[in-house]
Amino acid sequence: MSDVQLKNIMKIYPYTEAKKEKKSLFGKKKEEKPEHHTAHLQKTEKGVIAVQQFNLDIKDKEFIVLVGPSGCGKSTTLRMVAGLEEISEGELYIDGELVNVVEPKDRDIAMVFQNYALYPHMTVYDNMAYSLKIKKLPKDEIDRKVREAAEILDITQYLDRKPKALSGGQRQRVAIGRAIVRDPKVLLMDEPLSNLDAKLRNQMRAEIIKLRQRINTTFIYVTHDQTEAMTLGDRIVVMKDGYIQQIGTPQEVFDHPRNLFVAGFIGTPAMNTFDAKLVKEGDKYYVEIENEKVELSKEKEERLLANNVESQDVILGIRPDHIQITDKGISGKVDVSELMGTSSHLHMTVMGKDCIAIIPNNGETVNYMGKDIHISFNGNVAHVFSKADDKNLEY
Amino acid sequence: MNNNAKAKSKLLLSRTVAYLVLIFLSVLCLFFFYLMILNSSHSNFELQGSFTFKFGKFFADNFNNAWNDASIKIPRGMLNSFLIAIISAVLNVYFSALTAYGIYAYDFKLKKIADAFIIAVMMIPSQVSTVGFIQLAYKYNLTNKLWLLIVPSIAGPATYFYMKQYLKATLPLEIVEAARIDGSNEFVTFNRIVLPVMKPAIAVQMIFSFIASWNNYFTPSLLLTKAEYKTVPIMIAQLRSADYSKFDLGKMYMFIMLAILPVMIVYIILSKSIIKGVTSGSVKG
Amino acid sequence: MDKAAKLSKRKSVSYAKWGYLFILPFFLVYFVFTLYPQLLTFYNSLFENYMDGLTHVGPNFVGLGNFVKLFSPDATGSITIIKYFGNTVVLWILGALPQFIFALILALFFTSTRLKIKGQGFFKAVIYMPNLIMAAAFAMLIFGLFGNTGPINKMLVAANMPTFDFLAEKISVRGLIALMNFLMWFGNTTILLMAGIQGIDECLFESARIDGASSTRVFFDVTLPLLKPILVYVAITSMIGGMQMYDVPQVLTNGYGMPDNTSSTMVMLLNKYLNPSRNYGMSGAISVILFAITGILSLIVLKATNKED
Repeated sequence: MSDVQLKNIMKIYPYTEAKKEKKSLFGKKKEEKPEHHTAHLQKTEKGVIAVQQFNLDIKDKEFIVLVGPSGCGKSTTLRMVAGLEEISEGELYIDGELVNVVEPKDRDIAMVFQNYALYPHMTVYDNMAYSLKIKKLPKDEIDRKVREAAEILDITQYLDRKPKALSGGQRQRVAIGRAIVRDPKVLLMDEPLSNLDAKLRNQMRAEIIKLRQRINTTFIYVTHDQTEAMTLGDRIVVMKDGYIQQIGTPQEVFDHPRNLFVAGFIGTPAMNTFDAKLVKEGDKYYVEIENEKVELSKEKEERLLANNVESQDVILGIRPDHIQITDKGISGKVDVSELMGTSSHLHMTVMGKDCIAIIPNNGETVNYMGKDIHISFNGNVAHVFSKADDKNLEY
Repeated sequence: MNNNAKAKSKLLLSRTVAYLVLIFLSVLCLFFFYLMILNSSHSNFELQGSFTFKFGKFFADNFNNAWNDASIKIPRGMLNSFLIAIISAVLNVYFSALTAYGIYAYDFKLKKIADAFIIAVMMIPSQVSTVGFIQLAYKYNLTNKLWLLIVPSIAGPATYFYMKQYLKATLPLEIVEAARIDGSNEFVTFNRIVLPVMKPAIAVQMIFSFIASWNNYFTPSLLLTKAEYKTVPIMIAQLRSADYSKFDLGKMYMFIMLAILPVMIVYIILSKSIIKGVTSGSVKG
Repeated sequence: MDKAAKLSKRKSVSYAKWGYLFILPFFLVYFVFTLYPQLLTFYNSLFENYMDGLTHVGPNFVGLGNFVKLFSPDATGSITIIKYFGNTVVLWILGALPQFIFALILALFFTSTRLKIKGQGFFKAVIYMPNLIMAAAFAMLIFGLFGNTGPINKMLVAANMPTFDFLAEKISVRGLIALMNFLMWFGNTTILLMAGIQGIDECLFESARIDGASSTRVFFDVTLPLLKPILVYVAITSMIGGMQMYDVPQVLTNGYGMPDNTSSTMVMLLNKYLNPSRNYGMSGAISVILFAITGILSLIVLKATNKED
């Protein structure tokens, strides 16, 4: 229902705040958020920079997914949009209005928390009705909305229960229900599926897609899981160490990763990388690796040409499904072959490095285990990255 | 004004109010003690006159007068209080830790009952035993014996409770078993391995125990009747019955300051760990 | 039973011996110096046993005579122990009410992620400080400061206001005692409640804020209900402490509870019977009553804290 603009947003954690004691004998010990410790965040005299140079225009009703490894700043960004975290620098607009210090309650947003954050002393019904009660909606309208949302999420029979009496999946539904009853301008989701087991996660993922079709609102969804990002997002924002790495549709990000990090993070199994040479001959570009010389596709050649890319040593990236087994070509040895049904995953050693290929079975199953083979690839699926700065040379 | 600016000024306002409340209460906490130090620097004559916020020059005189007072022997009182407090604190902490360890680390029939018993008696007011205690003291002629105030501190239910919580949280029994396999005697294990692990807890409880004992007034006031055995709180209370028209007020404020001083010094040095100790162990964790 | 099992069984028995040995000093001392005197106190409450000058009266068994005596009206028709109990409760409430209100407010300040109070360590250190002051010395100090010729009255004069005999009026004596109890305990309560609030999952506050709740609503809808068990615990332990109030009113009023015993507490009454007449019978009876009251309060704590688990 609303557009959201993030302009040069930055988050700095002053050193004094980084290590606040949160021990308590009354409750259980709080889990420390690992966010600030694992990543290689930039440190200045002011503090640790968790997010910087974050620019993003989110369109009305868009589904944006922030994705990246833990500590990349994705949750921090989401919490800044929610108003739970102070924005150190930059400007945040919702519906064109600057909201940097506006309290969360006045932003008209809803949020689904990773651990659900259901009020333990209230029933499911009261949990869902709480925000509507605060808005002082008439009782019958609250009732209608809560039951409607409960219907959508199939939790009508649990409305009188307390959260304690629900399973993880049910709690998850309640948490989503609580967020959707109020028709928020923006719906924020912070790793909503990460506490579920694999099977339930797949099921809920599908439900979120369905949900999205039923409720018209802007979504910002945070996850570390690239599958969720690829399947849910209209656009995905890949982050690392506080910086945006790439913004684009799932297809764009998958087909044209801006750098080695994005290439490795999106897609599973991860993209294979090899040391290779990029050779320019006239207007044509070739990749030379071992005894193979592959011409790049026209489209790629044009882009490289536009960027004035010269011959150089590069890192070549090939996705596992784009590797073909050929009679000649780069030689390798299959260490393990995993039969996955319609395809086989070959774990190989190629040029002294691990490499994975996905080979369709096409009815006949060849057992490659322990065999010496040759592999090759087509010019339209070869990604060339600069050895100097890991950037995709096409950009 | 747009929402953003409104929210900004609102936050500023609530922050200001919060700081004002905090500063007001902090000043209130310090004000009377500030007056105490102020007045202890004035002569009795000055104190009879009009009030001033300026410090006087009679601090040393007042100290000498108080320290050498013939009827209220404050140095003796402080020595008595100190002896009782320090020995009580050591015994209290050591034996409570030993008991906590005994119940935590060993399996025996009465373990559960012993634990439940200590928890149950933790809330009983100390005054309930006072009547019988005084009666026994008079019966066996043990009034004015400082050790009678020290020995009971061996059994401190609250300290036991704290120590047990601490052991539960920090001491894996494997350490004890490892020591056992190394051939360590159980008692040695406690002294050499368990006690060092409990150092932080011991330090905090020692401080609390010392302070409680230093400030203790009720039971000692009933038991210590001879001047040379009196403790500081008894002497301070004695001041109250003095004849005020004749009393040197500068000296009085100095007495009060001497009573508070040792604890304050400890507090100024260790306030951080003392405050940490307040939360831990006060409720079942 | 095979040999190994037998061996291990014997071993565990031999370790049990250490358990008993380690807890022995504690229990020995507790039995001799606390439990036995406690039982003796109860026993005494059924006897007439006191010093009349230098002559020892009793012990004579009087059954519940001491209790009957405690609850019989005096010449003016008032029942001393009821009056003193009332005083104790009033004095406790006068101090505890502001103590809890301010402690809650301060705990909220300190834990607020929005306010981000700086200098917390300093503030906490200052407000906790009075808790460690010798109550007798604090009372003596307040007596000196608020006395007729004390600095407070002199400040009033300097400000052209009428002087006030703080130690002669019921309202001011009770007020001063309450003030001291408040100052001595609100810092402690703040720290306990702070820990309580920090024990609540922070996401719940965040979630409530996103649900549109103002800070006031977050407090009443989320913080308060989830803090209830700890609040009950702190309140009742404070009540138990309040029932034992002694040092402050005793020293401030020199044991007289002036004016007209309106600031005399239960333990001050106990002291009156013990000092100097050593009336073990009557003081024993008071102790039994004190024990009963605190016992009931403790049971409430136990129930309140256990319910949550």
